[in-house]
Amino acid sequence: MSKELTIASYKLRNVSLVKYLLLPFIFLSVALLGGLRVNDGNHAFAFMPPPLFTLVLSVLLLLLFVRGGLVELRSLISVENPPLTNIAHVWLLITIFFAGAQAFNSVLPEHGLLHWLFSFFFLWTLWNNQFSSFDARRLLRSLAVLFGTAFVLKYMLLASLYSQDGGWLKRVAGALLSGVTLGTLDAPVFAPATGYISFFTIGLYIAGLVLMGFDHQRAD
Amino acid sequence: MNVLSVTPVTHCQVELTVQQKRFQIIGLILTMVYAAAIVWLYATEPRSFEEMATGAQVAAGTYQVDQEKFNAALALFRREQFPAARDEWQRADPAQKDPTTQFYIAYAFYREGWGRVYNDQNLFQQGLEPVNRAIALAPGSLTIPDENLQLHTATELKAELEQGTERNWRDLNPLKVFRTRK
Repeated sequence: MSKELTIASYKLRNVSLVKYLLLPFIFLSVALLGGLRVNDGNHAFAFMPPPLFTLVLSVLLLLLFVRGGLVELRSLISVENPPLTNIAHVWLLITIFFAGAQAFNSVLPEHGLLHWLFSFFFLWTLWNNQFSSFDARRLLRSLAVLFGTAFVLKYMLLASLYSQDGGWLKRVAGALLSGVTLGTLDAPVFAPATGYISFFTIGLYIAGLVLMGFDHQRAD
Repeated sequence: MNVLSVTPVTHCQVELTVQQKRFQIIGLILTMVYAAAIVWLYATEPRSFEEMATGAQVAAGTYQVDQEKFNAALALFRREQFPAARDEWQRADPAQKDPTTQFYIAYAFYREGWGRVYNDQNLFQQGLEPVNRAIALAPGSLTIPDENLQLHTATELKAELEQGTERNWRDLNPLKVFRTRK
């Protein structure tokens, strides 16, 4: 009996540690790093707050989490829960919301036509997913692919096209692309550190979501 | 089931609830402090780790001007090396939060921009920014008791700089060459 209680105590401690400390910390770190850019010339930090559109995307993503069962809204916020538990859960949801907005901010081009193209691509995917049948695992896989694709497009493909120190072929392709689209595809050039920060941010966000899925399974 | 077998379980349940509550309180406090720090970072937008540290000092109320650099700048100012003095003062007060330093920076713009025949409008214009900052930062009326200066208050200096940036018919007065620098 005593051993069972000790195990129950450890389990509760670990689950509480993850749910009330680790997950908010991870999601807040995503919110911090998602808007961080490093300028190419002087390596100065630039903090980009989430654009309004990313907040809309984050709301859609949160709805998707509820539909996919990654967030069990009814058990998280309930009249049967103690008030403090409800407050802690609402706080966790707030951190998930801002982490989502900043994760989108991290992989969206800063301005111009590409910003709207990427935004439309995200909106379309998230809107379609609202009407598909999902479970938590499939949802996580789909999100990892979605963010991964956007990351590769922004930080590898576009960044290499507009890079100052690229080869002549890259520069010609970049100039042609910019010229044909009358400058609407222009993208600001950031230091390579920005790509690493974004990679870490997206990784952290996905890890946080996976951890949330595990935590959810443990609770079951 | 007798009372003896129920009591330890109930006690443990209470203990577990208390533990959970403790985690919730600690988690809420720590993460809210972290969130406040993130909001502060986005609001102040520091450009480097150094600026971040200075900003944190300002927020904590422990920010102080580097007195050594301030004195070095003052020595340069008295030797009429105004751009160098301004650079040194900017290094002494990177957060631009000290009214005295901001006053001296504005004064350096005034002295460098002052001319017997005409004033350098650009330098006078640049001087307005730090003097306005000095006025905003000083709790009351800012007065600098420096015997080497003729303008001792920030409002006097501001008036002088504003007057210097204006263009009017008095600029054509040939007697203007007899005026003195303050």
